[in-house]
Amino acid sequence: MTLKILPKKALPAWLDGLHANYRLVGPRAKQENFVFDVIQNAEDLRLDYNTTILPPKKVLLPQQETILQFDTSKDFHQVEPVFEDTPTVLFGVHTCDMHAINLMDQVFGQGYPDAHYQTRRQHTAIVTLECLNPCTEFCFCKSMETLSVPEGFDLHITDLGNVLAIEIGSGQGLTLLQHAKMVRDAGPKDYQHLQDVMSEKWPRFAYQLDFDITELPSLIALSYKTEVWDSLGDRCLGCGICNVVCPTCNCFDVIDEVDFDLQSGSRYRIWDSCQLDRFCSVAGGHDFRSSRANRLRHRFLHKFKYQPETYKIVGCVGCGRCAQECLVHISPVDVLNELYRRQVPFASIEQEVLV
Amino acid sequence: MNNKPRIAFFDFTGCEGCQLTVIDSLENHPELLEAVDIVQFREAMSEKDDDFSIAFIEGSCTRSSDEKRLEKIREQAALVIALGACAHLGGVNAVRNIQPLESVRRCVYGEKAEVYETSIAKPIGDVISIDGFIPGCPIDPEEFIRGVKRLLQGNRPLIPDYPVCIECKLRENACLFQRGKVCLGPITRAGCGALCPSLGVGCEGCRGLIPNPNITWLKEVMAEHGQSSERISAKMGLFMTNQILESEVIDVES
Ligand code: SF4
Ligand code: SF4
Ligand code: SF4
Ligand code: SF4
Ligand code: SF4
Repeated sequence: MTLKILPKKALPAWLDGLHANYRLVGPRAKQENFVFDVIQNAEDLRLDYNTTILPPKKVLLPQQETILQFDTSKDFHQVEPVFEDTPTVLFGVHTCDMHAINLMDQVFGQGYPDAHYQTRRQHTAIVTLECLNPCTEFCFCKSMETLSVPEGFDLHITDLGNVLAIEIGSGQGLTLLQHAKMVRDAGPKDYQHLQDVMSEKWPRFAYQLDFDITELPSLIALSYKTEVWDSLGDRCLGCGICNVVCPTCNCFDVIDEVDFDLQSGSRYRIWDSCQLDRFCSVAGGHDFRSSRANRLRHRFLHKFKYQPETYKIVGCVGCGRCAQECLVHISPVDVLNELYRRQVPFASIEQEVLV
Repeated sequence: MNNKPRIAFFDFTGCEGCQLTVIDSLENHPELLEAVDIVQFREAMSEKDDDFSIAFIEGSCTRSSDEKRLEKIREQAALVIALGACAHLGGVNAVRNIQPLESVRRCVYGEKAEVYETSIAKPIGDVISIDGFIPGCPIDPEEFIRGVKRLLQGNRPLIPDYPVCIECKLRENACLFQRGKVCLGPITRAGCGALCPSLGVGCEGCRGLIPNPNITWLKEVMAEHGQSSERISAKMGLFMTNQILESEVIDVES
């Protein structure tokens, strides 16, 4: 690990340097909340943010993005894909959200690689930030094993009080750091300081899940028929907020819009949500997941069974955004613990029989 | 005569705000006037031609004479589109539908109550078949323009069937429920870009219900946030009286 030390008072100048050379995106205040947004002035960047309404995923997969332009009036139908390649620095990403971005890289990189996502990703450097306190009462990153930074970051920052410890994760990261002045190599004292901060932080986070995440796929599979889904389905508003705020949701809808000549126009994509009533309506009108209970179960199946099986990464990073925003208080931790609680008696019955 | 599609606008019981919004939308999209011929539009022009193929109808149906007029429009038009909340849902006018008609009449017309014909406020789709609708009070000008383009392509207007919450979150608003306010966003059809919540005001439901809304649990949420049942009913009745009445009938039957 290559560790560098930057005095905090040198941070604004560094940010200005980044802003001059890249599109700098980071957390800033929006009323009482925080959002990732373009940072024009260094003082707008709020590294003390708790969480953001939408995850930083939106920089790589914007809520709505034009993917191609067409003109069918020509002899040869003209179709031009649209790519966004502005060099960008995504600054201050919490570790859970970095885990989620790694999952997004898999989702949009395997099978048919998504050229629009890939182009943005290739032109985005990511500076992650160590969480020293739980961001909200809803997060459960420690249980989901996302409280430590995964590979994939370009720089990783830990706040040591007067200085920032900066770990270099890539050559790209090193380039970013060249815009900073007063950077020095870390000495033994700095390493010690970092270690102290890290061991102090750990007990501040609670384990919220009553079991180990390796059990998730089988737990969800075994819970396929439980009535838990029905009672949750009664309560769920089917509003889709949980999907929209989730750093790992990746479903989108594709819509064409024509100009008045009815021959040219553009195609865009917009985030979609599997909790919505018509998500599974297909041509002919059939809806293969018409109840809220089924849709809710699908959301859990996708995150806790299908994704870990496909990508070897659990599809929930424990950021807690969905639990915080859900108006009827449906939280993954509560649901999973309830499913687990209901499994235990069966397991012990089986054991008794075996004995 | 050219072969541009011939479009007509009609108004029934409403405030004419949606027609004004149509006129507004032309400011940003003058191309519309090149793509179609507007042959009847009382709010905007004095010429009047009864040869039209697309009819946009603003306002709710509140009199038996309205019904005859609507039927005549239906006979002529290949496509009939309800324009705005009144035509689409009955609109604010429908708040009268849960009160005795006699007292409503007296309240509005006083001594002249007997002179004016009035009945319950119905969406035009209750009287004639419609081919689509542009929701909202007033309509969204961009959605109207997109709707016209879809009609010219031979498609129905593409109106979202998901709730306002989606657009609210896409715009990264903090939820009003977390700021001590209430909002009908979870059961209301999106398409306005979550206009009201983005300005800090709870959604009033002007675009009508989404398919299969969870009204029961939204009422629970509103009660949890300190709303009395009277206030909840009043809020839900502003634009959605007819739809809520219908969904209650379905609830009771099932
Ligand atoms: S946020 Fe809550 S109410 Fe809305 S769809 Fe998700 S689980 Fe259901
Ligand atoms: S499911 Fe909820 S807690 Fe998990 S990553 Fe998505 S928003 Fe965060
Ligand atoms: S299926 Fe649902 S849970 Fe899975 S990524 Fe899509 S919206 Fe998210
Ligand atoms: S403010 Fe209204 S529309 Fe926005 S998320 Fe909250 S309930 Fe939904
Ligand atoms: S937020 Fe609600 S009340 Fe406001 S314009 Fe949209 S649908 Fe109408």
